[in-house]
Amino acid sequence: MADKRGRRIAERISYSWLGFVVALAVVGPWLPFDAWNTVYDDALAVGPFSGGHLLGTDSNGYDLLLGVVNGARLSILVAVIAVGLGGFIGSALGIFAAYARGRVDSVITTVFNVILSVPNLVLALALVAVFATNIDVTDSVPTWRRVLVLILSLTIVIIPILGRIARAAALAWTGREFVLAAQTMGMRARNIIWTHIVPNVMPALIAVGFLAVGVVIIAEASLSILGVGVPDGASWGAMISRGRNEIDYAPHVVLVPLFFLAVTVICTNHVGDIIRARLDKRQARI
Amino acid sequence: MSVTTEPILRIRNLDVTFATARGPLHAVRDVSIDIPNGKAIGIVGESGSGKTVLSRAVMGLLPSGTTRRTGTVEFAGTDLSTASAEELRTHLGTGMAMIFQDPMTALNPVRRVGVQVAEGLRIRLGMDKEAARLRAADLLRLVRIPDPLETLRKFPYQLSGGMRQRVMIAMAIACSPKLLFADEPTTALDVTVQAQILQLLGELRRDLGMSMVLITHDLGVVAGHTDEVIVMYAGEVVERARTSVLFANMKMPYTKALLTSIPTVDMPTGRRLPVIEGRLPDPVNRPAGCAFAERCAFATDKCRTEHPPLVTEGDHSWRCWHPLGGN
Repeated sequence: MADKRGRRIAERISYSWLGFVVALAVVGPWLPFDAWNTVYDDALAVGPFSGGHLLGTDSNGYDLLLGVVNGARLSILVAVIAVGLGGFIGSALGIFAAYARGRVDSVITTVFNVILSVPNLVLALALVAVFATNIDVTDSVPTWRRVLVLILSLTIVIIPILGRIARAAALAWTGREFVLAAQTMGMRARNIIWTHIVPNVMPALIAVGFLAVGVVIIAEASLSILGVGVPDGASWGAMISRGRNEIDYAPHVVLVPLFFLAVTVICTNHVGDIIRARLDKRQARI
Repeated sequence: MSVTTEPILRIRNLDVTFATARGPLHAVRDVSIDIPNGKAIGIVGESGSGKTVLSRAVMGLLPSGTTRRTGTVEFAGTDLSTASAEELRTHLGTGMAMIFQDPMTALNPVRRVGVQVAEGLRIRLGMDKEAARLRAADLLRLVRIPDPLETLRKFPYQLSGGMRQRVMIAMAIACSPKLLFADEPTTALDVTVQAQILQLLGELRRDLGMSMVLITHDLGVVAGHTDEVIVMYAGEVVERARTSVLFANMKMPYTKALLTSIPTVDMPTGRRLPVIEGRLPDPVNRPAGCAFAERCAFATDKCRTEHPPLVTEGDHSWRCWHPLGGN
C-alpha cells in the first residue's frame, strides 16, 4: 500500500508544481517585481539567499528569480501554443485520414512519416534558421516574427507526432459497429466524426499532449541554447545558455533554470502517464 | 396498413466483388431478390455465404475503393445503384435502417442512451432537443423498455444485452424506416431473450407497417418470424420459398442439411450432432459446378462440372440438379 500512497503523493506534487509554474507564467507580469533584465550592479553572480536575491544573480547582475518567473511565461506559452495548434491540426488530419482511409490516408500518413523522419530538433532548427532570417543577414529580424516562427516551427514538429497518435486512436474506433450503425442512419461523415470518434480519441490526445508539452519545452530550450530560441535571452533555455560560460564559478546560474525546466518536464510527463494509465483502465472497461 | 404489390426493394443481378491480395473475391453472385412491401423475409446462410455483404451493398456501406458492385438496387421506386453517395444517404435512416448482431459494439460506449437514440431524430428529422428526448422516451416505451426516462440517462454498459438490443432497435426505427435490415439480431443474446426480441421485431413490423429482412444463420429463427425465406450459399441464392412451403418441402440438400444441424431438445443424448462436413468453397477460386457439390451427399459428376441454374416452380425456386423430392 505504501507504493500506492507514494504514487498518490507523486501525482499531487506533479499537479501542484504544474499549477505553480502556470500560475507564475500567468500572474508574473503583475507581480511587484522589477523587470527581469534589471541589472543589480551591487550583486554580480551571488549565490542563492544572498543580498535579497532569493535564487541569486548571474554575472550580468540579472536576478535569477525574476528570470525564472519571466522565463516560465515564455517557455510555457510557447509550448502550450505549439502543442495546442499542432495538436489541433495534427489530430484533425489524423482523424480525417483514419475515417477516410484509402488514398487520403496514404497521403497524410506519408507526409507525417516524412516529417517524422527528420529529427525534431534539426527540423525546428532548420525552419527557424530559414524563416527567421532576412536575405540580408545584417538586417535585424523583429522579435515578434522570431517568436512567431519559433512557435510555428515547433507546431510543425508536433503535427505529425500527435497526428499519428490521433490516427491510430481513431482507427480503433472507425471500424466499430456504432460507426456503421450511424452510417446506416444516414448520418454525415462530419457528424459521425464529431459525435462518435472525437470524444473517444480525446483522452488519448490529452495524455500525449502533456508529454508533447514536455518535448516542446525541451526543444525550445535546446534551440535557445543553440541561439535561435526565444530572442533576447528571456526563456529558461536562454538562461541556461547564458549561464553555460559561468558554470565553473557560478553553477547556480545554470542549475536554477535547469531545475525549473527539468521538474516541469518531469511533471508534464508524469501527468501524461497518469492520464494514460486512467485511460487504459477505462478502455479495458468498455 | 395497405400492402401494395409493388416490392419495397428490388434487387436485380447484384454482383459484389472485393479486390484482395489473392485476386477478386466474388462475395455476392448475380442475386435478384424482391422484398415485398410489409413482409418479413429471412435470408439464411452460414458465415461467408454473402448474406451480410448483400445487405451492406444495398445500403451502400461497402468500402468504395476495393469493392466493385454491378446490378441494380431499386428502393421504393428509386434506383439506388446510380445514385450518388449523398442521394443514397437521404434514404438511410428514414427509408432503410439496420440493426446489428452485437448491441454492445453497435452502441457508443461513452455516450448516454438518450443521446444516441435522439441523434437520428435530431439530425435526420431536425427535431429540437426536448422534442427528440420525448420521442426517444416514446421509442424506448415502444420497444418495451421499462422506465424509459431513467434509461435515457444510462450508459450502454449499465444495460443488459437484451435491453441494449432493444435500444438498438429503438434507434433503428426512430426515423420510421420502411425497410429494416436485422443482421443476426439475436445471435449475441440469451435464448430466452432471443424469442422476446424476435417477437418484438414482428410486432413492431406489423404495427409500423415496415418490411423486414431478417439475416441469420439459424433456420429456427426464420421459421416463426418470416413470410418468405431465401437461402444463400457461397454468394448465391440457392433456394427461395414461402416459409411454410420451404419447411414442408425443401428442395435443396443444403437447406435440409442446415435444418438437420439444429439440435433439438428431444434428441437422444450421447449422439453426435449432425453437421455439414467440409467448408464453403474458396471464394477466390470457385469450383466450376455447384458450389455445394463438395459437401453434398447427392452430388454427381454433373454437379461438379455444370453450374445449376435457379429453377422456379410457382413461387418456389431452387438451384440444384437433384432437388429433394424430384423435379
